[in-house]
Amino acid sequence: MRRILEYGAVVVIALLLNFLLPRALPGGPMKLFGSPEALSRLTEAERAQIAQQYGFGRPLPEQFADYLTGVFTLDLGTSLSDGRPVAEAIGEALPWTLLLVGTSIVITCVLGVALGVLGALRRRRGGGAGLLGTAIVLDSLPAFWLGMLLIVVFGVQLNVLPTYGAGTLAHLVLPVTTLVVTGLGYFFLYTRSSMLTVLTSEPVQHAHARGVPYGRLVRRHALRPALLPVHTIVLMEIGFLAGGSIVIETVFAYPGLGRLTFGAISARDYPLMQGAFLVLTLMVVAMNAIADATYPLLDPRARQ
Amino acid sequence: MRALGRQGRTGLALLAVITAAAVYGLLLPDSAGTARIGEPYAPPGPGLPLGADDLGRSLLDQLLVGAATSLGLGFLVALVVTALAAVIGGAAAIGPRWLSSLIMRSIDVMLILPELILFILAAAFLGQSFGIRVAILVVLMWPVPARVLRAGMLTAWSRGHLEVARAMGAPRWWLLLRHGSYLIGPLLIPVFVRAAMRAILYDATLSFLGLGDPTAPSWGTTLYWVQVNGVFLSEAWVWWALPPGLAITLSVLALALIGTAVEERLNPALKEVPA
Amino acid sequence: MLSITGMSVCYDGLPAVDRVSLDVGDGEIVALVGESGCGKTSLARALLGLLPGSAEVTGSAMLGDDDLARRTDWAGVRGRKIAIVPQGAMTGLSPVHKVGAQIEEMLTLHGGRARPGELLDRVGLGAEHLTCHPHELSGGQRQRVAIALALAGEPSLLVADEPTTGLDAIVQRQVLALLASLGIGMLIVSHDLAALAPHADRVAVMYAGRLAEDRPKGAPPRHPYTLGLLTATPATDRSIPWGSVPGSAPPLGQARPGCRFAPRCPLALDPCHDVDPPLVDGLACHHPGAPVYPVVPRSTPSAGTAAATLTGIRHTYRRRGVQALKGVDLEVRSGEIVGLVGESGSGKSTLARIALGLIKPTAGRVVVDGEELTGRTGKALRLLQRRIGFVHQDPYDSLHPGMRVGALVAEPLVVAGTPGDREEKVLAALEAAGLPCEREFLRRFPGQLSGGQRQRVSIARALAGEPVLLIADEATSMLDVSTRAGIATTLRSLASGRGLAVVFVTHDLGEAVQACDRIVVLRSGEIVEHGPAADLAAAPAHPYTQELLK
Repeated sequence: MRRILEYGAVVVIALLLNFLLPRALPGGPMKLFGSPEALSRLTEAERAQIAQQYGFGRPLPEQFADYLTGVFTLDLGTSLSDGRPVAEAIGEALPWTLLLVGTSIVITCVLGVALGVLGALRRRRGGGAGLLGTAIVLDSLPAFWLGMLLIVVFGVQLNVLPTYGAGTLAHLVLPVTTLVVTGLGYFFLYTRSSMLTVLTSEPVQHAHARGVPYGRLVRRHALRPALLPVHTIVLMEIGFLAGGSIVIETVFAYPGLGRLTFGAISARDYPLMQGAFLVLTLMVVAMNAIADATYPLLDPRARQ
Repeated sequence: MRALGRQGRTGLALLAVITAAAVYGLLLPDSAGTARIGEPYAPPGPGLPLGADDLGRSLLDQLLVGAATSLGLGFLVALVVTALAAVIGGAAAIGPRWLSSLIMRSIDVMLILPELILFILAAAFLGQSFGIRVAILVVLMWPVPARVLRAGMLTAWSRGHLEVARAMGAPRWWLLLRHGSYLIGPLLIPVFVRAAMRAILYDATLSFLGLGDPTAPSWGTTLYWVQVNGVFLSEAWVWWALPPGLAITLSVLALALIGTAVEERLNPALKEVPA
Repeated sequence: MLSITGMSVCYDGLPAVDRVSLDVGDGEIVALVGESGCGKTSLARALLGLLPGSAEVTGSAMLGDDDLARRTDWAGVRGRKIAIVPQGAMTGLSPVHKVGAQIEEMLTLHGGRARPGELLDRVGLGAEHLTCHPHELSGGQRQRVAIALALAGEPSLLVADEPTTGLDAIVQRQVLALLASLGIGMLIVSHDLAALAPHADRVAVMYAGRLAEDRPKGAPPRHPYTLGLLTATPATDRSIPWGSVPGSAPPLGQARPGCRFAPRCPLALDPCHDVDPPLVDGLACHHPGAPVYPVVPRSTPSAGTAAATLTGIRHTYRRRGVQALKGVDLEVRSGEIVGLVGESGSGKSTLARIALGLIKPTAGRVVVDGEELTGRTGKALRLLQRRIGFVHQDPYDSLHPGMRVGALVAEPLVVAGTPGDREEKVLAALEAAGLPCEREFLRRFPGQLSGGQRQRVSIARALAGEPVLLIADEATSMLDVSTRAGIATTLRSLASGRGLAVVFVTHDLGEAVQACDRIVVLRSGEIVEHGPAADLAAAPAHPYTQELLK
């Protein structure tokens, strides 16, 4: 119940931010209605007329109500660069981003947990230390730079994978790899530390004392409790990967929301920017809600 | 120093080198990295150790000035975030109940919101000057450390010697300075380091999207021009794209090594694991 | 059945268990008793190969045809031939699996033939608990589940490591009775000699890694250390004195040659310090006899003026919705020691913290030294708090590890801004708390002190501010049995010597009977009985008190 209220609050805050930030824009919300050049040619009278027409002089709550109506009727305004409705441009880009981010999240979680557990179990041996070092380095790589390096190596030098666009599975390989590799480090480190904590906890030590063999000890007694805190990290990872998608789509010219956002930023196309950010944020919130709903499956204490 | 292990010492050494570069970058004249001093697309040569970009600006100068910007921003954000998180986390731990639940609920809400996306959104609309970027990052980044420090503060507050000191009528400043600092102090280092890491990465990402401060060279901005000019299709990527990316990676890596080393020391669970 | 011969356990070359030989017969219950650090847990865990990698085991431990010492392959042995109820078992159940599933796992792994319901029945639980998760059970119930898990593989020997620690007194007795009724061979490791003695067929006492005594049930104890442990266990009868063994056990690897106990033994002669006594006839001692140990003095209470009065105290923890105190009155006069007795959840710690001004009660008044404490805040509250001394339960947590003894004891003086020569006051407080009155001692860190010394530093710190009231919250509970009475003696001398009013909070009614002038018994936030210690011990009126006194 508390979580539902919190998600409600998150959505309201996301909407409020989206509504208020453009109004804090230097030059005012006017920028939402024309390119800088077009605006500079307007006379004072024309400006006043636009402000009148779009109700900028009215009290903020009224404007917010109008904005909400717009959002709920999927009317997000018109793009300044090509005159298309923002909702339509976003509608085309969203599936591509869902595909990219969704695939990356699933792969990151599975791989991160597997390697994290391995890193914890092999802590004393050479492999474990190697994994730890690699994870820390990967966690430090900026996603966009890694993407560039992958393009240089696999696209330009080896010429084995497509480096831009989308459509086939091969197109997904480099962007997903980039996102997974940069997201994996933190996930690995966290799983590893959680697993080590659980391995030294009383329930696991006692199961060991009762004669539970090592493999079973890890699979049945340590894994689930170790995943409880990792679950929280999944939530953060979703936001991280979605944020990463903005730059990754730009690097790989992938036709999703991220590139749409980048294009909007470059063209100072504020309505498109506003809409894309809103949808990206809501996408993260929705993915979080789904991940959150799975928590009681892991922890019986959370079921009451 | 010894207590940090080999990893931590490597991190400290790396950080020292980058800090030295940043200090050198600060001492360069204002025009460094922004003035045209060579042929556009000039390869490395005398006077231009890392070549020049499409406007004939020295890439090495951009790297050095960028170091100052990145580290400066990272440390400033980390400092403010840590202080803010300590105050807010402390209030949530020992403040009145209504304040505590208000803070905790806001943290829960903030954690669901994606930091990087909001950072880019806010910077796009509010402006990209150094001060505004720092302010936005601080507003976005306090929740995670505040939660960590609240937990630490709660543990500390229940510790025996602190309770005894409270019972003997010691004023709050005494509790904080004599007892609290001893218990909380070690937690601040990883919090600070992690905040600096994320701030540097986020800021580089922002500049890479072309939303950096247009008047000041930075690692991310250099890479933005790499992207715009399609540099990685030519051989120029070796001196143009590689150094700033490496600089970001190594700065973050140095901080990560220090942070991990401190955390390993603080986590007693990492000592004895059954075989 | 189990035959341990010359077994030693060394950590980094330092012996924690030193050449111990011990047998456990078929169906026999052997109690292995000793204080913390004596090596009893190392010995027990060595039998199941549960020691950390730094430990080295020598000697042999034959269970039937299997040598348990230095075994590396435990499949088919651990859980099946020898099983353990580990220390702190009630927090050691898997939190994510149901009780039934955990028992099933043990049955499958170790080839047990019983059904899960039968096992629960054997430990006194109903089959309805099979579908519970551990967090839905009480501490005692979880302990019973842990025992059922150990029984699942039908082992011929059960090792129970401190099976009653953390449980309330009444539940402790029930769990021990359950273990004794199981009818299988058992090695019970405990620090509580008196509680185990009625159930054990044989009692083995360890001291500093060596076996001091190994006697069958009914035989009189002969080793001076065993006698010391017995006198150190407070009886609920005031005619039996409560004594302590001065000094402390040697830390790992610092035992001197000769009898390990000689430095603390009142009967020790020269050979005791040179020659290690062998275990002959179940006794390792050169001079068995009845030593005289210092005992807690009795006093005729001299009723002074009221130092603290608590009236109508109620408290509810709003966050958990728990009503911790339901209207409690308490008066403490100068020069007397009042025992506040109760099990966990009785509200005794809450009451102590209300008297200290750490918790604001929901209702009621607290008057200390004639001034009202409740309702005060800020500086006014702090000024009054300085007249109350507090001795915290945990000597390992209540001393700032980075402060030296001198600074620790001087803290109340610094906080209060007391002018004048602080060092003199500190030294006087140390002396009153029974510590060496030396400048060298002032420079030590808590890490260099024994548990008993730490608790005395804690008392000295409480005394330094010259309080009128001293509140000792379970001040003895984490100390070794043999040193507990020493703390009580110090408190008594402070009460009669300085006219200090003392509130002695404890879960052990025996301690209260021995150490206090008056006793207040708390249960679920209410006083069930109160009166002079002698009367309450001799003729308890309330059934709950009678149950506690058993």
